[in-house]
Amino acid sequence: MKVTVASRSGKEIIKGGLELADSATVADLQEAIHKRTKKYYPSRQRLTLPLQPGSKEKPIILHYKKSLNDYTDGNASNLTVVFKDLGPQVSYPILFFWEYLGPLIIYPIFYFLPVYQFFGYKGERVIYPVQTYALYAWCFHYFKRIMETFFVHRFSHATSPLSNVFRNCAYYWTFGAYIAYYVNHPLYMPVSDLQMKIGFGLAVVCQIANFYCHILLRNLRGSGSGGYQIPRGFLFNIVTCANYTTEIYQWLGFNIATQTVAGYVFLMVAASIMTNWALAKHRRLKRLFDGKEGRPKYPRRWFSFELYAFVTDHCSSLLSV
Amino acid sequence: MAGSSSVMRRVYLALYNWAVFAGWLQVLCLAVKAIKESGYEHVYDAVKKPLLLAQSAAVLEILHGLVGLVRSPITATLPQIASRLYVTWGILWSFPAVQTHLLVSSLVISWCITEIIRYSFFGTKEAVGSAPSWLLWLRYSAFLLLYPTGIVSELGLVYTAMPFMKESGKYCIRMPNIWNFSFDYFYIAVIALGIYAFPTYTAICLGRGRRLCPNPKRTREIPKKIHSPSAAALAAF
Repeated sequence: MKVTVASRSGKEIIKGGLELADSATVADLQEAIHKRTKKYYPSRQRLTLPLQPGSKEKPIILHYKKSLNDYTDGNASNLTVVFKDLGPQVSYPILFFWEYLGPLIIYPIFYFLPVYQFFGYKGERVIYPVQTYALYAWCFHYFKRIMETFFVHRFSHATSPLSNVFRNCAYYWTFGAYIAYYVNHPLYMPVSDLQMKIGFGLAVVCQIANFYCHILLRNLRGSGSGGYQIPRGFLFNIVTCANYTTEIYQWLGFNIATQTVAGYVFLMVAASIMTNWALAKHRRLKRLFDGKEGRPKYPRRWFSFELYAFVTDHCSSLLSV
Repeated sequence: MAGSSSVMRRVYLALYNWAVFAGWLQVLCLAVKAIKESGYEHVYDAVKKPLLLAQSAAVLEILHGLVGLVRSPITATLPQIASRLYVTWGILWSFPAVQTHLLVSSLVISWCITEIIRYSFFGTKEAVGSAPSWLLWLRYSAFLLLYPTGIVSELGLVYTAMPFMKESGKYCIRMPNIWNFSFDYFYIAVIALGIYAFPTYTAICLGRGRRLCPNPKRTREIPKKIHSPSAAALAAF
């Protein structure tokens, strides 16, 4: 079949179009485009079906696994696709590695090296046990994240725009330095021993629970594929994104033990970001698993274990979202 | 637009704009009088009450945007008002040592002329439906001179106040404390200087360029507040 590849403004990206077998998949089309354009490797391409001008609908994105026939409606020998360049792409594992490496290196710098003299604090520094445990907790956390990135997680999309590297690294590295500065400060005031134990206890339990959640999520996806399944088992029976819940509570534990405004600010920001993700995922799963056409119906669950989530979820189920 | 609620809206906005106009007019008169009679060191003392009042009244504009009384996006008005309040309360009112500086006069006069033109423009628009084109022209032409003088005065005053921030430790939180938190007002000034420098260039070039070569489709619309973020400083000017 002949495939015409046009930009959103109507200009032909590939002059004369492409000739492909009728049984070709979208992935084959992407390869063919890449061969002709050199610059646009497949993960940079966003291919959609053309929309009627003025239509307010969201364009249908071609999925790389599907056959081209799935997208031609009747006229099996001609297909027009709209091309968008997503810009340079980076694989998720690479993105996550650089995000997490920063905190893993920056935090120990504040603990081990005499940096505070550059902030005007001369002299010896007294190190409290809680500061040492915080170092272990922090570094273990980010080490675990890097390990999970390479050995546990299965990603739904292969790549992310390059600009996200700068944005995400700025977020993690800046907060890492901000928290490390205060927890390791020469004038740091520790909390009571009991509070420290409660905090780190919560953190440890949640780290382990979080790891188990990741294993359960991994087992939902066959190797090499994206796609969505209904998560089941353990905390997933109560909460859609139990992995985010355990992550948030782990940071809460860290903050209970270390008690810094910087840490709590980070907790608020991280929790709001993760709650947004949890909401999106919950909605997506509810939409995919609507109980029709033999698909299972998504069970009633909280989407993440915080009060805000509880209220919103009940409101959305009342409105039959 | 018929309906009593829109009439009330126009009456309220007309009153608001003319009231604040009167405030700034008063500031200008007091400032000029102080310069003529006592010298530039006494400008702040002479104008401080109406200045603090008129500038703080601008907070209402954020409210207007939030409840939909006016169409300007708060993403445009909020930074502008925040920076004005920062200079007025956070620098001038907080650090008496800078109140006698020459830049206070240039600041006050720049702000006064800007606001007088701006509030009379919107006051006229709300009262009679549209503003005369010469007033619109005046608004965008005055911008060319007053934005630089205003920014230079603001930056200069922030910079002048910085040693006094360090010395007095005002608005600072020191360690040790149980929340292991510290805050240094001095660094807010450093960040403010950095933030000021960047949008200034963008706003002047893009904002003025848009007005000089307007899209003919756009000028036929009823003049709304400007939507484009690149003309944000212009819109609030």
